[in-house]
Amino acid sequence: MKKVFVLFLMVILVFSAFAAEKVNFEQPIMITSGGQSPGALQMKVLAKSAKLDYAFEKTISADEFGAGNFKTLIIVIGASGKGLGAAGIDIDAEVARVEGLAAFAKENGIKVALFQLEGAARRGTSTDLIIDVLAPYADAVFFKADGNEDGKFTQLESDYPVFFESFEKTSDVKGILTSNFSN
Amino acid sequence: MRKVFLVILLSFLVVCVGLATVTAQTVASSLGMVAAVNPYAAEVGAKILEEGGNALDAAIAVSYALGVVEPYASGLGGEGYAIISLASGEKYAVDFKAMTPAAATYEKLKELGLKISTVNYTPKGALVPGIPAGTQKVWELGATMPMAELIQPAIDLAKNGIIVNETFAQTVSDGYEKLIESAPDFLNDGLAWEVGDLFTNEDLAETLEIIAQEGVDSFYTGTVAEKIAAFMAENDGFITAEDLGNYVAYVKEPIHGTYRGYDLYVPHPPVSGPQLIAVMNILENFNLSALSWDDPLAVHIIQQVLTLEDVDRKYYISDPDFFDLPINGFTSKEFAKMRFMEIDLAKAIDPDTYFDHIGNAYPYENGEIYERVMLEEASKEALAAEDVYEHPSTTHFSIVDKYGNAVSWTQTISSFWGTSSYLDGFFFNNEIGNFASSYREGDIINLTPGIRVRTTICPTIIEKDGKVKYVIGTPGGGRIISTIVQLIVDVIDFNMPIDQAVKTPKFVGYSSYKDVRIESGYPAETIDFLSEVLGHKINEYAYPDLFFGGPNIISVEDDGMMIGAGSIRRNGAASAPEM
Repeated sequence: MKKVFVLFLMVILVFSAFAAEKVNFEQPIMITSGGQSPGALQMKVLAKSAKLDYAFEKTISADEFGAGNFKTLIIVIGASGKGLGAAGIDIDAEVARVEGLAAFAKENGIKVALFQLEGAARRGTSTDLIIDVLAPYADAVFFKADGNEDGKFTQLESDYPVFFESFEKTSDVKGILTSNFSN
Repeated sequence: MRKVFLVILLSFLVVCVGLATVTAQTVASSLGMVAAVNPYAAEVGAKILEEGGNALDAAIAVSYALGVVEPYASGLGGEGYAIISLASGEKYAVDFKAMTPAAATYEKLKELGLKISTVNYTPKGALVPGIPAGTQKVWELGATMPMAELIQPAIDLAKNGIIVNETFAQTVSDGYEKLIESAPDFLNDGLAWEVGDLFTNEDLAETLEIIAQEGVDSFYTGTVAEKIAAFMAENDGFITAEDLGNYVAYVKEPIHGTYRGYDLYVPHPPVSGPQLIAVMNILENFNLSALSWDDPLAVHIIQQVLTLEDVDRKYYISDPDFFDLPINGFTSKEFAKMRFMEIDLAKAIDPDTYFDHIGNAYPYENGEIYERVMLEEASKEALAAEDVYEHPSTTHFSIVDKYGNAVSWTQTISSFWGTSSYLDGFFFNNEIGNFASSYREGDIINLTPGIRVRTTICPTIIEKDGKVKYVIGTPGGGRIISTIVQLIVDVIDFNMPIDQAVKTPKFVGYSSYKDVRIESGYPAETIDFLSEVLGHKINEYAYPDLFFGGPNIISVEDDGMMIGAGSIRRNGAASAPEM
């Protein structure tokens, strides 16, 4: 029995060593979209509800972002053909925009948090392209659990040793914001 | 005491068993049938049938219930059309299309610096709703239960809530930006409703309670009308108290057509009944039963006929109170023979020339034969087609009761979420978007006060030897006629069971599309043949796709057994009293 307990403890310790630690994101925060789906607008509602100091710009450029004094960049990932059309940009331009933002943030010590709020309904080739491009820049990734049915985020977690956290409902994100972004 | 308890328990069980209904994608029953795009709504109708109501009672209850469970697709702020076949043999077409307010004109829009496209998602985009008046007219035609009892299931659903399904969640997500702006109270604490959430709508329950207590007139001249008029005045909408008071739903005899020995009963203009008859008349000249549903030649013939008759629709369908159009000619077999000659079996019509192929129906209006007309050779100048995006919105349900009454009913708020203007739990339609974007001399869809604008809905009842055989319909904007025609050909020419007809991949023939939009599921050879041999530009969609509508259908077999099939494209269901 004692041996089993020791073995269990060792397994826990090994996994703990690999699990990335929770990140404390500072304010003020810039929230932008990565793909122009409605998820970004929902993040704005959640940030307001969590009483964060934030600004929201769906199509902000790296230059405009640099002019602010932001300590955290939240990119809400979700590609929408309709949203891209309304914003007057195509997917290639959108990918270039958000990668430019993330690179700028990394170079300037600004933390980057990626959110995938809309789960399985907003997974697809274009959304996955944005996830893949942005993952190397992320300090943390938060995703809706049903968006990981194909193991996409599990794979990313093994590829990038940063903090990953899943949630069941969009409303759960308010708790995530309160506990991770309220500094 | 124990005996009393047992008696109460037994009574309760008897009631429960007695009021049981069965709901599934496909259901068979001889006690009545409801097929709808939503299982909650279908079940409401089945329970009314179970309680002894007839098809008209059930239809009214389903109409109100759909406004609760699919608030994005229809509801109090919407409009529609119903076809009714009574067991006594009487047939009715009930027109509750939205009516243009008196102040809605191009001149007024110009004066305000606005266009139809800029007001489409504002209160100005709303026309006077017709659904409540439609339910009242249907009730007067032969319902047996008090109106308040028929509204009550919708009130219960709004109060007790429904579990949000994929279609609901996706539609909220797609419309979120509009909703957070115009209808934040509708949302779930400002967030989109998600699959599995319990959605309630207390505001709608209260509005429905007012209508149940004060009568449908309260929507047009009473308490609800006052609220609507105040909302519109406050938010710069066109609808006034006078517009509401002037609204009436019409009752006519349906338009009658035939197809291979079956009788088709369809709506009048301004909706697409005549177009459906015109399409079936042309298809009757082809031996489709020698082909199969996935034969490229069958797809080609049907798609080309649909496209040609969509071209004609733009010239011959509008509000009959405002335009004298050749509906007899358009729906005649002789006109169909002339149009039949327009189909090239070996080559698709060049989409850029669709409007060079207008069929002149005027010479056929008084029963002229095609040989004589064609010898005189008519020609007509082409009007430019406007490429408008039409939403997969709207909703449809079909009902047959055990007495032999049938109702086919389509209702809508036009786009999903309509104008997105939200009052007391319901959304206003944006039917204004169906008018010509600007005034065009001679056009039959110019924005005109009082007019009911042309749309493509087409609830249909098909009879054989004087008995109801099929009750058919679908939502789906510009795809409606394409999907209904394919359902009819599938069941009549290809002998498909109705559930298979609903499931079979669909395609579109529509003059606004330069390509053939087709659900995946056709053999690769069919797609290649359509593209490489016949010259169609193919645009393949995933299967199933809501774009092609949410068709549902009921068939009545020779032994009286009714089979209902709900839409697979919109989480639909059939529901029936348990046998």
